This record gives sequence, structure tokens and C-alpha cells, in this order.
Amino acid sequence: MLAAAVLLAPVVAWAEADPDSSASSAGRSDVAASDQELSGSLGAELGGRVSPGGLYVGGAYLYQLSDRDWFDGGLSFTFGSGAAACFQDREGDTVCDHGVTDGFGGEVALGMRRYFPGQGRFTPYARVAVGLRLVSYGADDVSGLAIPLEAGGGVRAWISERVSIAGAAELRVGPAWFNSDLGSEPHLGLAIHAAAELRL
Amino acid sequence: MRGSSFRGRALRAAIAAALAIACGCGVSSDVSRELGALCEDRDQCDDRCLTGTRYPDGFCSVTCDDDGDCPDGATCVDREGGVCLFTCGDRSECNFLGEDWRCRVQPERGAGDDDEVMVCMGPG
Repeated sequence: MLAAAVLLAPVVAWAEADPDSSASSAGRSDVAASDQELSGSLGAELGGRVSPGGLYVGGAYLYQLSDRDWFDGGLSFTFGSGAAACFQDREGDTVCDHGVTDGFGGEVALGMRRYFPGQGRFTPYARVAVGLRLVSYGADDVSGLAIPLEAGGGVRAWISERVSIAGAAELRVGPAWFNSDLGSEPHLGLAIHAAAELRL
Repeated sequence: MRGSSFRGRALRAAIAAALAIACGCGVSSDVSRELGALCEDRDQCDDRCLTGTRYPDGFCSVTCDDDGDCPDGATCVDREGGVCLFTCGDRSECNFLGEDWRCRVQPERGAGDDDEVMVCMGPG
């Protein structure tokens, strides 16, 4: 429920925001002026079936495009457990029923982050991206490639002139293609993570 | 105006996606690695793979001493050292396993000496 609230809050803000308003953190006098940032994230991802879940680790590079919008691209990895969960049903079709914290995922994603007017040191943002993701379940010898669309958001708080921390959640939805006669399967995951961001 | 409409659609899409996650959509199958999946060897099952004419196309099962060791819908049968098989009332209830499967009387394991039970098995 908390994840859904974090996920939806920026979208609601987007829906209700005045398009002409400015939300640039660069306008803050107590924050270093720069158009580039690095971000590191740690959290958890929930997957299931053939979408990986487990420990989530990520890194991103951010580049300011406009007053509110930043390019947001990076790498992320999801490390889950490795129990076998695929089998052949009585028609001979391969079926996988992995748990929500099983499997491995490695992804490169390119997207955009939009900041909204915040309160005090807190600034909400929304993020959309498209990813290319390698998915693997070693115990089943199943691997594949997913192209998830990612939507989510978070809130960040400046803790010094150059460093901020953030809490964020994002939903991944898209198609995936696998070996082992699995063919195409839907890819669906929810990541919740904390980030430390450094203004360069 | 147009922007508001787009944002409204985005909001509805996000809510629908969050609900899709929350529903916990799972796999729908009558069989599993534990019981009933096709197999040729043990690696394809959680516990063991039964093969031969009694188990056409192979059958994943688990070793048992009584019904308490078996998944729902299965009974512990006194064969192969004790294995779980799907309980049935007539042959039609075994059709989901394949056309060679029938509903047969077998000795129940972990019950009284003469207790028998109807389970899905091959003709062997």
C-alpha cells in the first residue's frame, strides 16, 4: 500500500500541477549549481512468474534538460533466490511459477525525470523510462530479454549543498522473450528503493 | 485542457497498473512440479519422477507416508514406496492428465490395512 502511494503520488502531482509553474531544484540558493548528477540506489524488487525480484541495486546518471526535466539513464541489477520453479504441464507447455523474490535481472534504462514544486527541502518527482533487461533463472536454465516501460516517482531531500537522498518506487511493465519453449511472457515488477544522489 | 485530459489518462493507467501488481496474478495450471507435471527425470520435479506404463508421459510426485504428506486433491498410495496421486471418482476426472489415464482402485498408505482409494493412474 505504501509502495502504491509512493508510486502514484508523483503521477497525481503531475495530473494536478500547473504546467507553467517552476520546480527546479537548481533555483535553490542552498544547492550547488550544476546540470549533472550521479545516483546510487539500494532497495527491493517484487517480481513473480518470469519477472525477477529480490535485492535491487542501481546507478544512474542525470543531466538537466530544462528547469524541471532531467535525463535519467543508468544500470540496475536485481538479485533473487534461485529455486527451480518451471515445469511442463500435461500439454507439454513450459510453465514457470517463480516467487516474487526469485531470479536475476540486469538492465540498462533511458528515461526522464520531472521535478514538481516541493515543500521545504523535499521535492517530489516522476520518472518514466524504457529499459532493456536481461532476465535469468539459473536453476531452470531459463533466460530471456525484456523491454519494460517504467513509470514511478519519489521524493528527494537535500541534506547538503551537493548531496540529496531519495525514496522512490517504480513499476515495470512490458513484454519479455525467453528460451526453453517459454516464448513471450509479460514482464511485471515493482521496485522500491532508497537513493543517494550527488550533484557534480 | 488537452494537457489535463492526458494527465487524467496517465493517472488512470498508473492506477490500473498498480492494481495489476496488487492482484498477484499467478500461474493457472492443474499440475505443478510437485504433483502432476510431465517428466522424464527427477530434475524436472520437486521430489521424484514416476515413469513407466502406470504413469504415461511421466508424472511428478512426492514420497509420502500418509495423506498429510500430499498436496490438496491427492492421496498417499502404497506403491513405489509411497507416492501421492490425484484422487478421483471416475475416469473423466483424470482426463486432464492425458487420454491413457484412468481412475483405479489402489491401496491407501498410512490408513487401515484394507483401506483402498480411487486415484488416477495409467493402464499398466
